[in-house]
Amino acid sequence: MTDQSALQGQTQVVGTAVRLSGEGPLDGAPDGVRDDVPLVPKGTAGEKRRTGRFRSGRWVMLGFIAPALVIYLLMVIVPSLQSLQLSFTDWDGISPDYDYVGVGNYEEILTSGRFWNAVRNTLILGLGSAVIINAISLGVALMLDKVGRWQGLFRTAVYLPSLVSAFILATVWKYLLNYNFGAVNTFLRDAGFPDWARDWLGDSSIVVGVILFITCFTLGGNTTLIYLANLQSVPQELIEAARIDGANSRQVFRHVTWPMLAGAVTVNMTLAMIAGWTIFDQVMVLTSGGPGFVSETMAFFIYKVGFGEYRAGFGSAAAIVLFLVVIVSTFAANAYMRKREIQA
Amino acid sequence: MSTETQLLVAPQPASGRGRRKAASPRKKLTVGQIVVMVVLAVLVLIVASPVIYALLNSFRSYAEITKDPMGLPTQFTLDNYVQLFQQTDYGEALVNTLIITVATVVLLVAIVPMAAYGIERVGGRTSRFMYILFIAGLMIPFQVRMIPLVKGFNEVGLYSTLTSVILVHLGGAASFGILLYCSFLKSVPIDVEEAASIDGAGRLRTFWSIVFPMLLPVTSAFVIIQALGLWNDFFIPLVFLDSSSAGTINVAINRMVGLLTSQWQLIYTGAILAIIPSVAIFAAFQRYFIKGMSVGAVKG
Repeated sequence: MTDQSALQGQTQVVGTAVRLSGEGPLDGAPDGVRDDVPLVPKGTAGEKRRTGRFRSGRWVMLGFIAPALVIYLLMVIVPSLQSLQLSFTDWDGISPDYDYVGVGNYEEILTSGRFWNAVRNTLILGLGSAVIINAISLGVALMLDKVGRWQGLFRTAVYLPSLVSAFILATVWKYLLNYNFGAVNTFLRDAGFPDWARDWLGDSSIVVGVILFITCFTLGGNTTLIYLANLQSVPQELIEAARIDGANSRQVFRHVTWPMLAGAVTVNMTLAMIAGWTIFDQVMVLTSGGPGFVSETMAFFIYKVGFGEYRAGFGSAAAIVLFLVVIVSTFAANAYMRKREIQA
Repeated sequence: MSTETQLLVAPQPASGRGRRKAASPRKKLTVGQIVVMVVLAVLVLIVASPVIYALLNSFRSYAEITKDPMGLPTQFTLDNYVQLFQQTDYGEALVNTLIITVATVVLLVAIVPMAAYGIERVGGRTSRFMYILFIAGLMIPFQVRMIPLVKGFNEVGLYSTLTSVILVHLGGAASFGILLYCSFLKSVPIDVEEAASIDGAGRLRTFWSIVFPMLLPVTSAFVIIQALGLWNDFFIPLVFLDSSSAGTINVAINRMVGLLTSQWQLIYTGAILAIIPSVAIFAAFQRYFIKGMSVGAVKG
């Protein structure tokens, strides 16, 4: 612990560098404060001249924003608000009119066993894959950092598998896991374990675990690159100083490297969780939510209910619940991890 | 101009890598390093194994695959590749995916950097409000806006057109783009633009001839991330393209899984063909990519 107070200054520097990025999307409020900072010094001399000379400058700038703003409003903000409105209706998704049913949809959702099962699966798959993929990525990044020669080559090799989309990977796995002609069961039978062969995607007791495994069947891609970039910005002097003080590699990692990575962990975990809450492709391809409703996630539930079962109003209510879950969990996770960062 | 760009990139912590990497080749490989290399190589092989399996089976017939699922191809034949284009809509889907990817990326680069510049330079409360408005979109999952969007596109007669998919993608990517460009633009000195505007250039020309080239590192990262994401996307085209359209490659493959239950070889072939352009995009921009990702990682 004594070394760490000495490291504090350094940690902060790296921390803020990382944070510049992560902060914006993840916890909006503090960002506003920081946003103004660069603007003030920039303005001081130039600001007056600019406002004088370009009377219309402000309007020109608004004109620059306009095209993106119009599309963004029409494609994101307006539909999101409409979704809120539809969530109070019994709209079926086809007929031109609908009735308002108050909070009926929300009541039904919160008492629906099928919905809570989807929430549970989303937690297992979203949070589970976030933790596992981050652990894998950090491990791979640590190894890449040690490789030394040919690091570029290995970095590329490690990255390549992540170019394959979740959809394609899930599709191939669907066939690998086929009961009769799939490679997995064939391998098990040939290797002398015919009892281990299973209906991997049709057995409701293991299907969620199988989807989690397939989701985590990766070397991390971007997550690994972010960890590697941060590992390589850990000053060598710190590590050497710790070594001289008699720290072994585990201690160096625990007390020097790991605290320095805190910011990267926050960014990566938050990104992975946001992706995890909306996990869809794997479920759609591998099981279509089955057997029964066993492997449904929230994203899949919304899709299925809204388009497959003609309950667009009900689906909208589920979407609003998903939105709340994303907001709350993102803020909560960030608050927790930021605290940890400061202590580190 | 190039010096400006370098200045902007140089202070990134990621550039520390260069120095450390340069020193390493002189050292001899240690046992530990060799072990790490072997472990990494094995891991890559394991993770790539489903793709390798699909590649091998794209050269086999359905009878061969079901008779011996673990067998190797006996001959090199492109029959499956030819059949895929003759029997299915895959060719059309490929063109659709290409149109969606290229059009979306071009439009994004045309509007997002400009908007980010506007947000950064408009100043004051407007600046802050616009930034937060755009960034809020990062926390709105696509599922939240999906049902009303389908409704809206139906009303204006755009449902199941490539235009609808492109528009939905544009809205979704705008937030991330604004975040990326704004965090970079904060480091672009206003003096440069001032100098240019004194010469009588309009704001629009100042932007495209002075500021935009400085944003190249961000633009390359943004373009690559978006191009890969668009090419690989499944959910948005699944929702917005019905059977009146051939769909995108992922949608087409998904339909084939349902329809061609006894043509596994075509699914494998389609999967492999879908991966090739991703790898091509990566290979073409690899240098910018790794650099951009580390800039993007540390900054945006």
